[in-house]
Amino acid sequence: MGATEVLIERLNAGVRKRNARLEFVREQAFGDALRLRRYRLGNGLTVLTLVDRSAPTVSYHTWFRVGSRHERPGKTGLAHLFEHLMFNETLNHPPGEFDRLMERAGAEANAATWTDWTYYYENAPRGSLPLLIELEADRMGNLVLRGPQVSSEKEVVVNERKMRVDDDAEGKALELLYRSAFRRHPYRWPTIGWMADIRAFTVQDCREFYRKHYAPSNATIVIAGDFNERTALSLVQKHYGGFSRAPVARQQTSSKEPLQHTERVFQLEAPTPTEKILIGYRAPAFSDPHTPALVIANEVLFGGQSSRLHRLFCIDKELALAVRGSISPFVDPGLFEIWVFLREGKSKRNAIELLDRELERLGADGPTETEVEKAINQLELSFLHNMETAAGKAEQIGFHETVLNDGAAVFDRLAAYREVTADEVKQAVRKYLRPSRRTRVEIVATAS
Amino acid sequence: MKIFVESSDVLPLVDLEVAFPVGSLQDPAGLEGLAQLTCHLMRRGPRGISQERFEDRLASLGARLSVQVSMRTTRIRATVLRRNVEPLFELVADLIWQPALRAGDFAKLKRQAQAALLARLDDDQTLGALCFREALFGEHPYGRSLSGNAGTLSRIGVKQVEGFYKRHIEKGSFVVGLSGDLTEPEARSLVAAHFPTFRSRQHKTPAVPATRARRGRHVVIVDKPERTQTQLFIGTLGARTRDRSLFPLIVSNTAFGGTFSGPLMQQVRAARGWSYGAYSRLLHSNQRDAWYMATAPSVEYSADCAALQLDLLENWVETGIKKSELSFAKRYLINGHCFDRDTPSKRLDARLDVELLGIPRAYFEKHDDLVDRVTWQEATEATRARISTRDLTIVVVASAADVVGPFERLPGVSSLEIVPFDRS
Repeated sequence: MGATEVLIERLNAGVRKRNARLEFVREQAFGDALRLRRYRLGNGLTVLTLVDRSAPTVSYHTWFRVGSRHERPGKTGLAHLFEHLMFNETLNHPPGEFDRLMERAGAEANAATWTDWTYYYENAPRGSLPLLIELEADRMGNLVLRGPQVSSEKEVVVNERKMRVDDDAEGKALELLYRSAFRRHPYRWPTIGWMADIRAFTVQDCREFYRKHYAPSNATIVIAGDFNERTALSLVQKHYGGFSRAPVARQQTSSKEPLQHTERVFQLEAPTPTEKILIGYRAPAFSDPHTPALVIANEVLFGGQSSRLHRLFCIDKELALAVRGSISPFVDPGLFEIWVFLREGKSKRNAIELLDRELERLGADGPTETEVEKAINQLELSFLHNMETAAGKAEQIGFHETVLNDGAAVFDRLAAYREVTADEVKQAVRKYLRPSRRTRVEIVATAS
Repeated sequence: MKIFVESSDVLPLVDLEVAFPVGSLQDPAGLEGLAQLTCHLMRRGPRGISQERFEDRLASLGARLSVQVSMRTTRIRATVLRRNVEPLFELVADLIWQPALRAGDFAKLKRQAQAALLARLDDDQTLGALCFREALFGEHPYGRSLSGNAGTLSRIGVKQVEGFYKRHIEKGSFVVGLSGDLTEPEARSLVAAHFPTFRSRQHKTPAVPATRARRGRHVVIVDKPERTQTQLFIGTLGARTRDRSLFPLIVSNTAFGGTFSGPLMQQVRAARGWSYGAYSRLLHSNQRDAWYMATAPSVEYSADCAALQLDLLENWVETGIKKSELSFAKRYLINGHCFDRDTPSKRLDARLDVELLGIPRAYFEKHDDLVDRVTWQEATEATRARISTRDLTIVVVASAADVVGPFERLPGVSSLEIVPFDRS
């Protein structure tokens, strides 16, 4: 019997409740030096551990497979509002105590919600893991939702929306882009929700959402950093083992977005001194085999000061102050986003013509060998930066587990980038970065 | 030349930092933005290689290079894949000691800097923060913008840039820091190979006059159209780095507005939902820097939020923090201190701060003791001595017509000024 089997046998000794029994699933290499281990609790909770003693810290992540795509029209923004509510009262802790205990322990606790997921995290000094496990388990199973807290948190989210969207030209443009690029898929509404929906949420809406989505079998826990694995697993059994295997809200089959055949163009007025262009090309899902080639294309076009479009737009032609590109890392097909931050008085039409010409050139000739090498080295550098801290590792594991069902896949991504050929980049650009597949939002200055 | 090394073989990455004790405080009056323009022009590459080739070379090495200018320091930072550390060193050394400083590049850079000034008007929070410093410090050098303004940039030419470079970089003192996957002997040998001829130089910190608070409570409305939300900054002078009461004040401020559990966040956000964020910050420098509260309330209750914050401030200064809050803040600071040193680059930064900013070494090495020793009395006295409730600067980014009346009626306000958001 191997050491892991002995560990599991000891941990399960005397555990009567089926939901608290732990199963070892597998161990995977996580780079050259570390091992990622996967366990499952009887109630369906997945636990991933990565022991890494390079710093005296520990990071504890809880990823739920629920995001704004799981909402419905009229109830948009509920996943995000709920993320806020998770910091409130539980059956065992009064309002405010979660933050007080975490901060007293020196832990940073926060959360994030997007289209496909919501996650909660704590970055804490080593030794504080028992507290993190107790408090996270408590709010997974024992959250109390009352009227005054829901009202107050709704007001906070209203303010957050004003800050990120209503008073922010870029936030508004992004909202318009996704609303216009998607006509059926839930990616068309903003994660923060429409203002009217936020204001209309009831306590009952929140309770139903909690029951439906916050079940152990819909969650993954990631523990990374300096900790004793046996103690951690035993505490996970103790605090989460009492939760039943609640019926999981099955990931709804999202409406398939119809193909886009013509360009969609919109204008947005804002009190801005500098005009901007935001473009979204329909792009493949994060798991799609074409995505790595598009990531390399993005590096060639927008990756740093040696990239083609930075050089052309910002240095040579002085058309723009900055250009940016990114691919939405979504479960379903999303967008390849491009931002052009124009300089005062520069023509939007010129910028679009120049962009089209450059995309055509990349689609026709592909990148040079040097460009591919630069792109891969830059991606490797970003990858290593993401791995510097326990928090960075836990985030990468949680994200890849939730989106690709494989916490260690972050290494496969890097390997996939290394295998991309110039020809694949060319094909991907031709297929995805065509004007007919795009939606364009132009931010223009409000007429004074 | 001093060299600092923080070795760690956890990841095949190396960070290199060459830091100079020179920053925007050395900008001559009327030429604000000169330090930043000089360093950004250096960033465009060394002599004998075009900017395009220089950028290609950096990217091919798997390296990133940035320059950061603050009031008192300039830091040239590079990160590189371990296997390419040697060629990166060579490039960075050339960049610093033989920068091209081409007139053609300068003309483009200046236009870029002017465009950036305009673009930042889009960000209300940045706009509010800049206006707050300007209103708080007035003509004092601490009130200057690092990037200058349209007028000062227009007066800067490549000759001034060359002069600044010669005076402060070429002939100035500097320190070298390395962190990551290389040993101390390897680091020293790389420095010796690429910076061989430079001897230690003394630097003179420019004399900066003491900062003075303007008497009374002054409101500045940064008028921007179509605002549904406001950015609110309320503050006064803060601390000096070498104040004996610095740690008591840090602990007291942490208890008041440095955490989610403090009274500022609890009253503004948790109890009323008035702002997504609500925090207070204590800054310290050679002279007293700023202390301020920042929130972002909706326009309809912006003045109510300001009034609440003024009440909280008065209560904090007059009655002090509770003993339980003192103990909480101390645990928070001590337990969380591990995150100030959990990567080699953070540990290196702390050592460079000691060297460049005159921060006593004990602040890092004995941090936990210094925090733990703070008594309730010291925290209360430090707060009373340093944080004024009478002399306050209140800056709000908002559509002026929506807020002018309520802000005028805030208690103790002695003046109110409205400035257009796109004022040069």
